[in-house]
Amino acid sequence: MLREIRQVLRLVLLLGKQRQRRCERAGGLLVLLWTEARASGQSLNCTVAAAGPWCTGIKMKALQPDLKENMFPCTWPCPEPDPEELCAFTDLYGSLRLLLSFQMKDAQLFNPEWTDHMESFLHTFSLANAGIKIHLKFIFNQKTLQQEFRVKIKSKVAQAGDPSLSLDVTCNTQPPECVKKGCWCQGGHPVPGGRLPLSIPPQAMDQGLYGELSVQPVTLLRPCVLQYPNLATQLTHIQVLVYSPSNVPVTGPSAFLQNLPAQLGCPELSQRGLHCSSFKDLVLSGGTVYKVEQEMLEEESSPSTIQQSLLLFLFLQHSDPFTSHISDVMATEALIEQHLEDILSNNRQAVTTALQTELKNTLKAQNRRKKDQEKLRSAVDVILSSSISIVSCSSNMDFRQACLNSMKVHDTHELSASLCESLRRVTSWKFTPRGRCYSAQMEEHPESDEPTRTEI
Amino acid sequence: MASQAAEQFSEVDKLRVQLLNNVEDMTDCQPDDEPVSSREILIRIENIILGIVTSVSKGEAPVLALPNRSSWANVSFDSAIGLQMSSGPSVSIIRSDCPSSVTKFAQILKILSVIYRLVQRNSYATKRDIYYNNTQLFGSQTAVDSIVDDISCMLKVPRRSLHVLATSKGLIAGDLRYMEEDGTRIDCHSSSAGKGVPDVNSRLMVRKLWDTLHIPIFALVDADPHGIEIMCIYKYGSVAMSFEAHSLTVPSVMWLGLLPSDLQRLWVPEDALIPLTKRDESKLSSLLKRPYLSSQPDWQKEMELMQQTRVKAEIQSLAAIAPDFLTSIYLPNKLRYGGWV
Repeated sequence: MLREIRQVLRLVLLLGKQRQRRCERAGGLLVLLWTEARASGQSLNCTVAAAGPWCTGIKMKALQPDLKENMFPCTWPCPEPDPEELCAFTDLYGSLRLLLSFQMKDAQLFNPEWTDHMESFLHTFSLANAGIKIHLKFIFNQKTLQQEFRVKIKSKVAQAGDPSLSLDVTCNTQPPECVKKGCWCQGGHPVPGGRLPLSIPPQAMDQGLYGELSVQPVTLLRPCVLQYPNLATQLTHIQVLVYSPSNVPVTGPSAFLQNLPAQLGCPELSQRGLHCSSFKDLVLSGGTVYKVEQEMLEEESSPSTIQQSLLLFLFLQHSDPFTSHISDVMATEALIEQHLEDILSNNRQAVTTALQTELKNTLKAQNRRKKDQEKLRSAVDVILSSSISIVSCSSNMDFRQACLNSMKVHDTHELSASLCESLRRVTSWKFTPRGRCYSAQMEEHPESDEPTRTEI
Repeated sequence: MASQAAEQFSEVDKLRVQLLNNVEDMTDCQPDDEPVSSREILIRIENIILGIVTSVSKGEAPVLALPNRSSWANVSFDSAIGLQMSSGPSVSIIRSDCPSSVTKFAQILKILSVIYRLVQRNSYATKRDIYYNNTQLFGSQTAVDSIVDDISCMLKVPRRSLHVLATSKGLIAGDLRYMEEDGTRIDCHSSSAGKGVPDVNSRLMVRKLWDTLHIPIFALVDADPHGIEIMCIYKYGSVAMSFEAHSLTVPSVMWLGLLPSDLQRLWVPEDALIPLTKRDESKLSSLLKRPYLSSQPDWQKEMELMQQTRVKAEIQSLAAIAPDFLTSIYLPNKLRYGGWV
């Protein structure tokens, strides 16, 4: 079922790309799944509907019957969904541009983990297609489960020769208590890397994959602490997500990416090591996740060290002037995904170097912050000891009392402790506002970009 | 013999009379330089600390404001004093929450705490002692030297009142004996020279000689822009120490030699002359723009002559005329016939 849904998404996005218009990748997507009792057992029906600018111009009738056959070889036609189910959707996004319904041939393939898998996929899709609001609805055994994937903060990233990417840069990390209202960036700032041409391996060419293939890396570090230049940061996780040329997430584990940590040359990156999380995590979180190991003891983070995670998007790009028919384009994408391991292995050195560069750039900022933090810390120690020395040996009672009263303490011992804590906080949490950051009034219950789930 | 000696210095004596008359006029104009008491110095340091504590208590990063000692915009020229710091000079802000300035902030606080203890106990330390007590924090002797002067300027207190001493670069000798404040007797019977750009102690010594003895002060420097600048610092002061001009400048300094006009007049051999470098020319142009030059037309003429001839010479170049030309002919004649400007 997931494969079929991916195919629909691929179709809509490629049609949009083919129209050569600067079509806005915005609108709505509805994925409706419901079970139906039959004589032979339960069947699982799926309807995918799309509306809004991202699918303007799509003519369903123009889709060849054989195209539908090629897209959905494992499905049967299924009854149309309840029109009322579609009403709420069309009320929001306008008339439907796409409506495809199909039935899983083997309903036994459906299992409880599958819903998580579906959610994870749609969430990953939403990260790189932030303009499209996704509605997922399951109706099983008279029980309805609804989820909406809507993005709070989007950011556009330009791509040469392709429409701009709309990325979900929302960050849900709650700011520490000492941060004032309106002084925390609630998003990230994607950084595009250099486009890397990829050579197509012989085995893929034999299967009919030609043209020019490349990959565009984009990094997104969250939470953003650019407004706090003195804070130390610590990278804890790196997640790699791969997207096909149509911007549909490439799912499934990648041996190349799983083994990537060994190729990255850890000493150069000043990290002790990266290791890959378990397979189960991969399925649920989407993509490949690396946990960053820290160096010994010195990494005992101070209270003002902010943990960050890095999201590394790898957008595959392909062009072939001899492939224009939609079914050929979709077949080409299928080939790219099918041979992705071979492609990455064939370009191992170049891909590894490109990813090293992206990681080094991220870690450069972290290392600079660490050096600054150390400088501040050792200087603050001197400032403190010098100030306390003068207060302690002063015979001027007015001066001593004024210092104690200022810090609301009773003696120089308390003054030392209080001054130490306050001076460290004041210097570490220096705030310099930036126009680029998404600092808004923090609400009591900040809106989350996690799927909102309701059960009826 | 006696009459010969009297003749030798008749011009010098005339100059001295003239200078003494000027001193009486100047005394009325000079400000009352009361030394700052130790108690007052401690209070000024405590005020800085209180300011820091107050800032921190308000959740603000403390800052220090240092008068800018390297800007010409912060100095003005007074013919009776020399270069002095303007009232309300521009300041540099040293922040404690900025990695690029926090080390300097800490260095200042450290030296303030050292000075506080020294003044409180009425003991003394050298700048070298301060540096070697914490080489890691300060990094270099130059950093300590600069910060001590910054503190002197910030607190508006002479450096010597901070109980921080410096080792002098200059040497002094001649028919002079004096007693220091602690009773030490100093006999200066040997040759002397200040070496290079004068340090504060050398300038203080020259100033002391003038204040105490009112004897004419003559400068014998190389005939090059650097030598002229050294002489200007003795006479008019420096931008960096302009806040202490009253106690350091000696406006009565006269330029005895080596004058650029001497090189032509004495036919100093050409191979003893050195072409001016681009840096020399730049320095010379800068000197000619200094505010005090307008009151020294003769100095201006000499410097313009150097600009035209585009050559410089060291004092040692006179040895090319004859080995003892400097001491046997040049200096005696200069003093005898008033060959200074």
